[in-house]
Formats: sequence, C-alpha cells, structure tokens
Amino acid sequence: MGNSISRALGRLFGSKEMKILMLGLDKAGKTTILYKLKLNKIKTSTPTVGFNVETVTYKNVKFNMWDVGGQQRLRPLWRHYFPATTALIFVIDSNARERMEEAKEELYSIIGEKEMENVVLLVWANKQDLKHAMKPQEVSDFLELEKNLKNQPWCVIGSNALSGQGLVEGLSWISNNTNVPKK
Amino acid sequence: MQNDRQRLSLQNRTILRHPYKGLGGALSVKSPSVPNFHDRMHSEHSSSDSALVKENARVSDNRTVEPSCLGQASPSEHDGNLSVIDLYGDEVESQRAEGDYDDDEEDYDDDCNYDRDEVHSDDLDLAPGEDILDDVAAVTSKSSTADGINNPHFDRYGFKKQNNFISEADYDKWWAEYSQYCVRRKHKWQLLLEKSGLPVTDDSPSRFPPKSERLKRYVRKGIPAEWRGNAWWHFARGQEKLNKNKGVYSQLLQKMKQIKKQNPNEKQVQDLDIIERDLNRTFPDNTHFQSVSFNKGPPIIKSLRRVLVAFSLYNPKIGYCQSMNFLAGLLLLFLDEERAFWMLVIITSRYLPGVHNINLEGVNIDQGVLMLCVKEYIPEVWSYIKPSIDHHQKNNKTFSPSNNKVLFNMQKNEFLYRLPPITLCTASWFMSCFVGVVPIETTLRIWDCLFYEESHFLFKFSLAVLKLSEHELSKIKPRVNSLNHSWGSNSTQRNGPMGQEDSDMEIFQVIQTFPKTLLNPNEIFEKIIFKRRFNLNRLDQDEIDRCRKFVAAQRLKFKTYGELLGNTTSEADLPTTNDNTDDKGTHITSDAVNEALSSEVYGFKKSLAGVHWNNSIKEKVKQMRKKKDRSD
Repeated sequence: MGNSISRALGRLFGSKEMKILMLGLDKAGKTTILYKLKLNKIKTSTPTVGFNVETVTYKNVKFNMWDVGGQQRLRPLWRHYFPATTALIFVIDSNARERMEEAKEELYSIIGEKEMENVVLLVWANKQDLKHAMKPQEVSDFLELEKNLKNQPWCVIGSNALSGQGLVEGLSWISNNTNVPKK
Repeated sequence: MQNDRQRLSLQNRTILRHPYKGLGGALSVKSPSVPNFHDRMHSEHSSSDSALVKENARVSDNRTVEPSCLGQASPSEHDGNLSVIDLYGDEVESQRAEGDYDDDEEDYDDDCNYDRDEVHSDDLDLAPGEDILDDVAAVTSKSSTADGINNPHFDRYGFKKQNNFISEADYDKWWAEYSQYCVRRKHKWQLLLEKSGLPVTDDSPSRFPPKSERLKRYVRKGIPAEWRGNAWWHFARGQEKLNKNKGVYSQLLQKMKQIKKQNPNEKQVQDLDIIERDLNRTFPDNTHFQSVSFNKGPPIIKSLRRVLVAFSLYNPKIGYCQSMNFLAGLLLLFLDEERAFWMLVIITSRYLPGVHNINLEGVNIDQGVLMLCVKEYIPEVWSYIKPSIDHHQKNNKTFSPSNNKVLFNMQKNEFLYRLPPITLCTASWFMSCFVGVVPIETTLRIWDCLFYEESHFLFKFSLAVLKLSEHELSKIKPRVNSLNHSWGSNSTQRNGPMGQEDSDMEIFQVIQTFPKTLLNPNEIFEKIIFKRRFNLNRLDQDEIDRCRKFVAAQRLKFKTYGELLGNTTSEADLPTTNDNTDDKGTHITSDAVNEALSSEVYGFKKSLAGVHWNNSIKEKVKQMRKKKDRSD
C-alpha cells in the first residue's frame, strides 16, 4: 500500500529508478558502504558470500544497489546480472597500494564486458580516512580512465564509508549522469 | 568444597534466582560453551597467550560443574522417575509416529508437561544459583580479560545477540523459553544414552547409539550444545577419516611453515593472501574471534589460519573459497583444530561435492537440483521464482516460428543451466551451510541434521525456508505490471524491463531477509520439517544423489553441445551474456541444444519412472547443425 503511494508520488514528481551494480576487490568496503547508505549504520566487516541488495532512495531516485561478493572466483555466480545495469560503481581500497594494480585489472576486465559498454562508471576511492590512502586524484591518474574511456561518463570520488563522506555525492553524480526514462 | 558451594547457592537461591524463577536448569545452558580447541590446540601458544588460556581454563572448570548441576551426577535418584517420563514422552510418541503427521507436535507438548511436572526437583534447580555465582565471578574477572564471555550482550557461543533483524530484547525473550527447551532435550538425550548403555559421565560423550528413527528425531530436535562437537564428529564418521589420514594434518602444517620460510612475503600461494584478508572478518561479532589486545590476535584466529591454509594445500582443486572461513570458524567453536580440519574436508567432499571448487560447478549443480525440487515439491513457490518469459524474450530477441516450441521446452528444463536469478541468493545458503544466513541456533540445528542425515537435509531446509517465505512472497505484486512495462520496453537496452526488475528486487529482498528472522529453530521444524503433509518431507538422500547426477549430466551436455557447435558463449552459468552477440548462428545453436536437452525429464520417485533418457539427442543436434551450415 505505502509502496504504491510512493510510486504514484514518484510518478507525479518524476522519480527515477536505477539498478546499480557495486563491484570491487574483496575487502574494498562495498558492504560497509551499502549499509551506511541504507541504515546509516556501520556493519562489522565480513566477507560477502553471494550478495546484498538494498534499495536506497535519494532525492526521488530509487537506487537498487547490488553489492556482490568480491572474491574473484565467485564472479561467475553473479555475472549474468550485468545486462540490466544502469550504473557501475567500482569501490577501491585507496589504502591498499599493493593491490592497486590488481584493482585496475579487475576494473578494466569488467568494463571490457560487452554488457558494460557505455555504462555510467563511478569509482569510489574508499577508505580516505586512512593516513596513507591514495588521494582520489592519484587513484584517478593511476586508473588512466581519461585515456581509456572515451564513450562513457566516469568519475572518481573520494569516500569514507565510516563517516559517509563522498557517498551522497557519488549517488547524485550518478543520477545527474544517467538518462533513465521518467516514470 | 563444591558441595558447600552448592549448598550455599541453594540457600541463596531464593534471593539470587528471583529474576530467573522458573528457568530450571536452563541457566547452566546459558553459561558459555567455550571452544573446545583450547585444550587440544596445536601448540603455538606464546607466553603472552597464557593469560587467555588461564581464562579459558577457568571457564572450562565452569563447564565441568554443569553436569552435576543437571542432576545427572546422581542418576540413581532419578532413574525411576525419569524413565517413567520417558515412557510417557517418547514411547507414546513413537507409537503415534506410525500414522499421525502431527506426532511430533504432541511430543513438544510432552516436553512441556514434563517440564511442569518434573523440572522443579531440587537437584535440577541447583544450576541457577551456581551459574549466578559464576556470573559474578565472571563479571569481576572480566575487566582484566576483556574476553566478553558471560557478557549479557552475547549468546552462549560468544555471538552478539543483536543484529539488524533481531533486537537483544527479542533474543532474551525467546532464549528464556528456548533454553528451557534445551535443558529438557538434554535430559532426554541423557536418558537415551543411558538406556543404550552409554552413560554420560563427563558431559562430553563420544559414543552415540546406532542410527534409528528415534535418534533421528532426537537429532532433529537438537543435539545438546555441549555435545555437539563430539556428536558431529561421530555422525560424520570423522574418526574413520582421521584414522585413514594419521599425521597428515601435522605434515600439512610442516609444509605450511616451509612455504612461509621460502617465501616470506607469502606471495607465491595466492590463497594465503585471500585467507589472510578474511581471517579477521570471520565472525567479527563473536567474542572468541575478537582481538584480546590491539596487536594480539585471538588463538582461534591462528587456528582458523592454519586450518584454511592446510586445507588449501591439502586440496588445491578447492584451495580457498570465501564461505569456507565461516565453515571452519564455526567448526572451531565446537571441535579442536585437527578435527575441525577433517570435518571441513568431509563437508566439502561428502556433503557439498564441488561446491567450493574453483569453477563452482558443484554449487551450480546444487542450485539446479534445488530448483527442480522447488518445482516438484512446492510449485506454489516456484511460480514466484521461476524465470519469466521476459527473460527468454531477452535471450532470444528474434522469434522464429519454431521458437515457440523451443520456448515451451525451455521453460520445462532450461532453468537447469540458465539458473533463475534467485539462485544468486540460494547459492550462498549452500556454500556456507546456512552460517550467517539464519540465526546461529537455527544454523546449529541444521548442522545437527546435516551430519546425521547428510546433504539432502540442506535441500529440505532450503525448501522449508522457501515454503515459509511464501506468505511474504505473496505480498509482492505480480511481475511486469502494465504501467512499468510500457515504459520499460522503451527504455534503453541496459536498463532492461524495469517491471521485471522491480518484482525481482522485492523477491530478492524477501529471500535475503526472511531467513535472518528465523530466530526460533523450532518454528520452522514444527511448522514444516516435522509435518508429513508437506511433500517436501518425502525428499531423501537417494533422491538428491540421483537428482545431482541428472543435473550434472544435463549441464555437461549443454556445455559440450555448445562447444561442439562452436558456440563460444556456452558457459551455462552466464544465461544472458550472449544478448548482444545474437546472430543467426548462435540462435540455431541454442535452439538445438534446448530442444535436445528439454526432451530429457527428471522423474521424481513417486512416478517410479526414474530418468527418461533420450538417445536420439545426438542425432538431433547433428541435424540442426546441418541445417545451420546450409543456411550459412
């Protein structure tokens, strides 16, 4: 009931709805971000087997966020969920410099998939609260997105899942850069 | 000395016990069942660990007090009484078991009567006072150990009671009852063991009666928490495995040390890195897994590391797969390190073959089996989760007339290799054997049954969960409502049909969330598992074994035919990835494969027909291929 009312209101005021796939290496902070956004709570960090899915509503936009397990071998399980994705969020542990190369490879292998062509890409350079974390600009330079991504909007935003810094900015960037038909 | 203490607690009982009145021996169950691993752990205690070991020793003492608290130390006084009760309880129950599907519900009532009539004898009541004294001791010593054991916010295994779905108050309210239930069940177990000539002397029996319908029922109603490690080990025939592999575990540990020496940065073995990252993320809400001090990991984490690394060396085909940290972690709470290791070996080979393999084929097979079972046993739920026509339309954008038939056939069988999206969710149920999927006491009841009844119980429980969630699922609006659909079809390709998305999303959330609310294991057991009127209870191990073979063969054939026909995107677990590459060739290919495969049907036992194999499949594929060549 309440659901249908909010949908009706959504139609009146032009709400959008989008499916967002949140990926990244294991222990990058995907699940922590998801529950910070959803519940404004810090969940103790634990590996995600399978996935978590939550709806986050922000400024009339309903984000259906899929947070899937990070371990590489689990990827085939959720790969077939690629096609209906509006935006891709790639979460990076900015503090794990030794894994930057791995993260970059992973990112390019994902956006190299056919289903990810032209998808809107947001990179959250996460864990900015840590002293030795790479700055968003450094992460961006390292990923060489400017050089390699010609056809799709992309953006690197620094984030801190614990304080929530950068999260809302990320979502609003996504909603400003996607053209989902209004309901 | 101890007697004095008991007497003291007896005297104080009325004052001390007041808030717990009526709990009977329940509180003895509340006192933490401390991981077994401490005593027998592979010696890697550095001197700084000793404080913790002492603390654990203290709690272990605590545990040894329990049996006498339960009055079991003086069986002679009770024998007469309790066996009468048992006659009243279980004998009656087993007679009734013949025809009445509700027999076990009756048994629960028996439990209650039993409680009202008998539990208030003095010896049984010794426990609470005792426990409170211990609680006091624990509180006073806690500040120095920071262990968190006996902390009211954590359960008897050290898990935090509260989570996103269950409040601490809810937990405590439920636990007040469930702990009584546990005490009653433990009594029944003690009597059963005594009757079977295996009296329980030290509260850690290692021998159990031979398998029987009654024992199965006892296991289903829960093995006493303190006995779980031994019981699991016994039912899973762990000792047999260990005897065949004497010394293997310590050899693996030696190998592990060598690898560390040769490669101090541990880079060579990729699994080591992944394991390392997951160690401190295993049960972070459990006191046993939390760091004692800032830079000092708890001993159970060290055990966990050794078990997981040893396993990845023992079985490189599996190596390390996320979810195994949870399996090993839970095992370590109940078994010493070496036995935990072998149980992990048994789980990943006997109960969940291939599920953790690098290619994950085992888990895909099991999801295919589960979907077949859902369709067969709970068709009312299948209608919510089966792949919709929409999905097929997406897969096959161009419809040839012959596709109608194929479409029909695909619906019949295709879900075995193009698994429905819901299996994203259920796959993790199997990989982690429900650890973290349902609340811990429910998980443990599943594990009890898993080791006694083997893997088909995981399927049975999954079906029961889905059946119970039917009510929630029914609240979701039917998929693809016309409003959404009209704009959905106009949307750009990657946005997909949002109407479908919407309902998928809600179904996912129900299936993801609902199990986490199953705080009370008895609820699902009473409502579904013990009810004979549910067809799903006909499911047995034989059925699952046959079904697994069938699905494995089907998936393999799909893959082989795909390769045979040069379909490069034949991976069965990527149902929609060939969307954009759809050209005529791949179409004919998938038509051929679908038609070939859908002519095989799995027959569930009731039809007594078994599997109907169709030998003309190869011929059909060849013909289709010729057709394809001609059209090219």
